[in-house]
Amino acid sequence: MQPDPPSPGSSTPRKLIDGSLIFITALAVAGGAGVWWLKGGDKFREILLIETGFAVMLLPKILAGILIASCLPLLMSQRRIQALIGPESGLRGLMIATLAGVVIPGGPSVTYPLTLGLMSAGADLGAGVALVSGWVLVGLNRTLIWELSFLPPEFVALRVALSLPAPVLIGWAVRRYINGAAR
Amino acid sequence: MNILIGTILLWALALLMLRRLKTQAPESLPAVYARGKSTFLFMVPRIFIGLIGAGFLAELLPVDQIDRYFGANSGLAGVLLATLFGAATPGGPFVAFAIGAAALKAGAGWAPLIAYVTSWSVMNLNRSIAYELPFMGRRFLLFRSAASLPLPILLGAWLLLF
Repeated sequence: MQPDPPSPGSSTPRKLIDGSLIFITALAVAGGAGVWWLKGGDKFREILLIETGFAVMLLPKILAGILIASCLPLLMSQRRIQALIGPESGLRGLMIATLAGVVIPGGPSVTYPLTLGLMSAGADLGAGVALVSGWVLVGLNRTLIWELSFLPPEFVALRVALSLPAPVLIGWAVRRYINGAAR
Repeated sequence: MNILIGTILLWALALLMLRRLKTQAPESLPAVYARGKSTFLFMVPRIFIGLIGAGFLAELLPVDQIDRYFGANSGLAGVLLATLFGAATPGGPFVAFAIGAAALKAGAGWAPLIAYVTSWSVMNLNRSIAYELPFMGRRFLLFRSAASLPLPILLGAWLLLF
């Protein structure tokens, strides 16, 4: 998803084997060894089978997400994205990014590729972080469908009200830090 | 079922965009496919390893004991502990919210509960390892997590005070 000029704010490494792959592999091996040791080989095989099956079912979805993220920067005018949620978009840009995160109706395999596509198209790291924060903190889909079915509405309302300013603040903090480090 | 509907909707959107690109800028299509292929090859081992690793770690965590530490009088210690458990809780939203609901029934206070739900929302090791790290890279995850870390504690403390 890296566009030809390196995308602003994105640091996704393109090497097939890199630090983060080694890190998650080490975690998986340690976790697997722990399960085998504490819960036995049957449990180990059961989890391995379930998660592998889940990953296989997820693959078509991920491929579609990648195609969307690859098309997005080409279909949208770079200048417009940059004006809306680029590094110079100010507080308004962070609010727009947050709102986008709130209304995105999908799970992680939708939201992350979309964010990556927008960042390739000119959104900065702060806006990307605000978008993901809006989605994880006050995403409509999760709040309305999941949270309200389990927790009392007064609690949900209070949590949403208190969390609402957070994505903008978090994005602002990231943007400020990056600008400070660049200077 | 959910995953099937999501897949169909995503493919509809992807095909729609590819068709628009075909009429608007057909010369860019080979590059889109090449980039899509290399990104997909980049993602596949990460998704498999991430999901399997998260599955193993989930099995090892003592989630069934979470409601024990949520007591209404647990104060700031309860909020901090709830923040820790929130980050460690594996699985989809139904798991975290079901645990939260069970804890509430067992007499947990709102302060640890809001810290727990918020921490699960922003930190969520499971999602970070299985999705965010492979998709967004280390830098994005580190910056977002560092900036989000105070939030569950702040919200919990807010509810303790007011």
